[in-house]
Amino acid sequence: MLLPRRLMWCLVGLAVLAGGVAKGGDGDGAGFFRREIAPILASRCLSCHSSDRKKGGLDLTTRAVALAGGSSGELAIVPGKPAESELLAKVESGEMPPKNPLAKGQIEAIRAWIATGAVYDREPLKPASADAGALWSLRPIARPTPPPVKNGSWPRSAVDRFILARLESEAIEPAPEADRRVLIRRATLDLTGLPPSPGEIQAFLADPRPDAYERLIDRLLASPRHGERWGRHWLDVARFGESHGYETNMPRYNAWPYRDYVIQAFNHDLPYPEFIRDQIAGDAGALGLASAATGFLVAGTHDGVGNATPEGMLQQRMDDLDDVIAATCSTFLGLTVQCARCHDHKFDPIPQRDYYALQAVFAGVKHGERVLSLIPDQDRLAELEQVNRELGRVEDSLDGFEPLAQPLASRPTRAAVDAVHDIDRFEPVRARFIRFQIMSTNDGSEPCLDELEVRGPDQPGVNLGSAAQGAKASASSAYAGDPRHQIGHLNDGRESNERSWISGEKGKGWARIELAAPARIDRVIWSRDRAGVYRDRLAVSYRIEVALDAGQWRVVASSADRVRDGATTNPPSPAVSREAQALLDRRSWLRERSKRLARPDSVYSGIFDTPTPTRLLARGDPAQPKDLVAPASLSVVSPRFSLDQSSPEPARRRALAAWLADPRNPLPSRVLANRVWQYHMGRGLVSTPNDFGALGSPPTHPELLDWLAGELVRNGGRLKPLHRLIMLSSTYRQASAVSARGQARDSGALLRWRYEPRRLEAEAIRDAMLFTSGELRSTIGGPSYSIWEPNTNYVAVYNPLKHLGPGTFRRMVYQLRPRSRLDGTFGVFDCPDAAQTTPNRTVSTTAPQALALWNSEFVLERAAALAERARREVGGEPREVVSRLFLITLGRAPTTSEEAGAVALIEHDSPAALGRVLYNSSEFLTLP
Amino acid sequence: MISPTGLDWLDRRRFLGSFSSGLGAIALSWMLQNDQRSVAAAPFDPLAPRAPHFPGRAKRVIHLFCVGAVSHLDTWDYKPKLIQMHGRPLPDSHGGKVVTFQGENGNLAQSPWKFRPKGKCGKHVSDLLPRLGDLVDDMCFIHSLTSRTNTHGPGEIYMSTGFTREGAPSMGAWVSYALGTLNHDLPAFVAIPDPRGVPQQGPVNWSNGFLPAYSQGTAWGADRPIEHLARPAGIDAEADRRAASFLRELNQVNLAQSPGDSDLAARIAAYELAGRMQTSAPEAGDLAAESPATRALYGVDDVNPIKAGFARNCLFARRLIERGVRFVTLYNGAFAMGEGVQNWDGHQRIKSDYERHGPVLDQPAAALLVDLKARGLLDDTLLVWTTEFGRMPTFQKGAQGRDHNPKGFTAWMAGAGVKRGTSFGATDELGYQAVENVVDVHDFHATVLHLLGLDHTKLTFRHNGADRRLTDVAGKVISGLLA
Repeated sequence: MLLPRRLMWCLVGLAVLAGGVAKGGDGDGAGFFRREIAPILASRCLSCHSSDRKKGGLDLTTRAVALAGGSSGELAIVPGKPAESELLAKVESGEMPPKNPLAKGQIEAIRAWIATGAVYDREPLKPASADAGALWSLRPIARPTPPPVKNGSWPRSAVDRFILARLESEAIEPAPEADRRVLIRRATLDLTGLPPSPGEIQAFLADPRPDAYERLIDRLLASPRHGERWGRHWLDVARFGESHGYETNMPRYNAWPYRDYVIQAFNHDLPYPEFIRDQIAGDAGALGLASAATGFLVAGTHDGVGNATPEGMLQQRMDDLDDVIAATCSTFLGLTVQCARCHDHKFDPIPQRDYYALQAVFAGVKHGERVLSLIPDQDRLAELEQVNRELGRVEDSLDGFEPLAQPLASRPTRAAVDAVHDIDRFEPVRARFIRFQIMSTNDGSEPCLDELEVRGPDQPGVNLGSAAQGAKASASSAYAGDPRHQIGHLNDGRESNERSWISGEKGKGWARIELAAPARIDRVIWSRDRAGVYRDRLAVSYRIEVALDAGQWRVVASSADRVRDGATTNPPSPAVSREAQALLDRRSWLRERSKRLARPDSVYSGIFDTPTPTRLLARGDPAQPKDLVAPASLSVVSPRFSLDQSSPEPARRRALAAWLADPRNPLPSRVLANRVWQYHMGRGLVSTPNDFGALGSPPTHPELLDWLAGELVRNGGRLKPLHRLIMLSSTYRQASAVSARGQARDSGALLRWRYEPRRLEAEAIRDAMLFTSGELRSTIGGPSYSIWEPNTNYVAVYNPLKHLGPGTFRRMVYQLRPRSRLDGTFGVFDCPDAAQTTPNRTVSTTAPQALALWNSEFVLERAAALAERARREVGGEPREVVSRLFLITLGRAPTTSEEAGAVALIEHDSPAALGRVLYNSSEFLTLP
Repeated sequence: MISPTGLDWLDRRRFLGSFSSGLGAIALSWMLQNDQRSVAAAPFDPLAPRAPHFPGRAKRVIHLFCVGAVSHLDTWDYKPKLIQMHGRPLPDSHGGKVVTFQGENGNLAQSPWKFRPKGKCGKHVSDLLPRLGDLVDDMCFIHSLTSRTNTHGPGEIYMSTGFTREGAPSMGAWVSYALGTLNHDLPAFVAIPDPRGVPQQGPVNWSNGFLPAYSQGTAWGADRPIEHLARPAGIDAEADRRAASFLRELNQVNLAQSPGDSDLAARIAAYELAGRMQTSAPEAGDLAAESPATRALYGVDDVNPIKAGFARNCLFARRLIERGVRFVTLYNGAFAMGEGVQNWDGHQRIKSDYERHGPVLDQPAAALLVDLKARGLLDDTLLVWTTEFGRMPTFQKGAQGRDHNPKGFTAWMAGAGVKRGTSFGATDELGYQAVENVVDVHDFHATVLHLLGLDHTKLTFRHNGADRRLTDVAGKVISGLLA
């Protein structure tokens, strides 16, 4: 048989798809019709050629009447003979559909459809937008009876009966149960995103109780690590990012409370209806973190660049609202409502008007921050005091790393003076007076000091020289006529040029502090401008004198041992010790915390304004406004709601939240049950988790999906019972072993005849490395840690930090996620960039991943820490080290040949070299 | 040396490669992406070269993108009437007192640079870019391009991805996804950021969006190595090899225990490709291997470090193309650090801004075109030059520079399959709006794909309920450009 080449490809396409019949029931002629042809007929032909209208006598709603043709007498469709089919001729010539011909690809699809017999998968076909009944996902959730099965001993629950019945119909045996080592690794990674520790493995293997596995699952579900893992799944769907995106891409340092809210919701098993309500309308009445839940609405991109043209501003606004509508509908309904922005949805029963009704619901929602009291004021102020006290102690300790001043030195041993911060440290001395004597400045003008602190060893964290401690400041002279520069500003505890002292003489002058009482002091801390704005008027030649009684001055420090500004380079600074690094990290954390506690939180969780009227926009074009549209639900989901044009802002979102949370709305429970199944099993029963519409994949096990959704509703929308139901099933406990029969009938294991192992996500890989190396910090929540250098440009520039210290050794869910800027090592593992919702992550395997794991400093450092941990735990005997490293990373002992190779490697190189290999091994990277 | 598993995998790749050419391959790769494990035990080489929909004139593309919106009126679009009307307001017939991105505009302003006829075709271009101007006989200009946004970020990604909102795959990702690569040990798609920094939208410009990760652009420049490519300091080559060989052993034992694990086989292969890249990437970036004459042609040792850096990137782009990289995006200009400071965003003082930017672009870019041609690479390589949109024929109120203008601007193409010494379309006589053969960025993309042998309506990927395309639901091939 000779076929035109193009047609042949179509047939090859069909044949290839047909190979997938067993996988999805999706690839035969009916599948092709459903996917390719029905949408064309429904949206482009049936408005005229239906049984009601029959234009030209032609009716395409059923196969029989379509084959009969129209009044012209020509046969519209001759199955198997595209060349004789008038329908094809009309669409090919562009005569039909009038004005707006079909695309080439659509014409080819019709040709292939006719050539292969013009099969219909359902009759009568209804025009798009009227075909609600045909969409399976909109039907009420059924309570199916678990089917009978032959192998009665295998099922542990209804879940297994749905799975097994289908397998038995294909004559595929389920895989045997996985061994306990695999089960604990699988369950622990699945529920917490971390591998099990050697102790946990040991305990589980040794647990003789019949319900040891149930106890394991319960322990994991109760772990606070669980919310960090499953919260991350939700954040993917919610397109949560911590920057605006677009050109400026400014960071949102205060978007994290939404992330914390989500993690807590999973940890506390917040019922789904409440979870929905908080995220859509939580500003109205919720307390604490829940008041930040509306961060969901504004978690997406926002083009904040000012635009002077009204059409430009309007377009940005419409795009912002589109993001909110698309995210809400994809997340909770699994519908692509955004497709109805410009026209009625081509495939699903969503008229364009519905899109604008939802836009009216969100018409008052704007990007921005709200002041929220996440922490009660009293607690906040108490913690602030405590944090500031510790900060003082840490700063004192850090000052101790400054070299001692050597006022008589002839060679520079200390760094040049710095306008922002200088410390002159000396041996402790008892004093009452401190005099800062300036002999010259860097530009010859009158010297300036914005603050002069005096500290000593006996009162940690206290500036003895401050006015608050009763010290008095005086000076040789003062700059006349400018109230910003007064001697009193020298020790008023307020920094910057605006509160500073300037001498009245060019290039010189002195300032003096008299303490309230004599005290032991050991350093003077001073600066020209701690705000970092001014660098002129800086004292470059100075000496610091102290006295117990006025007049008996003694020099304790001077600029003699400092590098002169502009001269050569600073002496090499000694490598920062581990201890100092720890203090520096602690200081930066305390400073952040102190800043945050100083005032109530402003959280990036949206602003709610008076709604402006919403109009339907022809072709989605803001320049073509049509009728006013009032807030309402989608028209196809009952029970509906609709509100008045004038209804106030929060009422709109509350009505939407109630509609989404209503158990009679079948979509949210189905969509959520499918997501839960997907994250446990690697693939949803519906493989398009954000699209339960006509173009999405139908469920492989529709009855099971309804069973799970029903269980979810019965449990009041709590997820932990659902996790338990799935994880305790025989289906979940299967080994990953491949059987010939299964492979031949269903190579994708869509029917679940084995458990499919899968590569871990970026977060789980990074977390697992830090966890096994013993470096993971378990702090929960709070501001995100950043792996980017601070930056003050007016468009954000994200340069990675040169070195990642312990401050970044937290779980990756707490990493600041600026949009489109991914972690340099782990981003390549299909990490979403949060520009759009990510309902399931692709799992790619690429060379850049290999390079990142093999060569990055991060992995090598973890490998070194891992080796050090093993040495601490078992000492240096190579065989012991090898066993320990295998146990920590892979949860098992090495085989004999692995042991030989590993011992050789560490004897030749080092235990860290073996750590590097284990971190790169497929087994480490896989959820088994 | 390649391992037994790797060899095995290569054989399967050959099998798949022969089975799946043309359209079928694209369908197949889509299926594999969405159903990876359905073809167990056959790790699919996603970047194996694949035939296009129909024979294309171009095999590879260099996309030279000038960041910040280059003024068409100071470079390629000659408007004698603008010189005549200098200092007068924009007439009402042309919109009168229009408000643009930054607000109100002042009077019409002629270019600070003289335009003169160049080449055999006599095309008038400005003195700002004299060396590129000498090459007009090789170029095909589009003067009637329009954009749908007046804002840099969306404009830049509209040119890169066909969408003004983030999240869509870039043109280079689509092309890599469709056609794979012509080399075996380098990335298919390379993005070369300017020496001054990444473009305004950063990596969004070379993102794979919702396409599989293997189609993503690799950020790599003459002076900017591929991340994590180099063997870490402190690990000598022997130790590195010993560790790698033990890793292979571990993974292969694992594979032997779970035969048919295509992910694992693919991972073994990925480590082998990474190993080959470690050798071939430094070779590709070794500009010292070029003759002094070639280096001088580009200006790689220029005293202006920015120009020298960009020149090295241009030369590097040619070396990548020679080595079979499918798609190279070469950036001139970086993110904003003050208007017009390090890109072409000349709002306030266009003359002094462009006096700095013109020389950085001119010699290196001209050398690239000359060199591609001299080596015969231009026969099957397409060089395209674009920017996000144009600028106003007026100066901004109270300023000496021009505001954004998406209503008409210029791009050009040269090489495989395009007419030479030609101009297509036109803006009005003041250069404000496209009026003749008006085209949009989608049309431009459709044309680039067409030259590669790809039908832009058929190159699709199912994502979130729609068959997504580079050209969204629009785009017509600009046949007037085709040779």
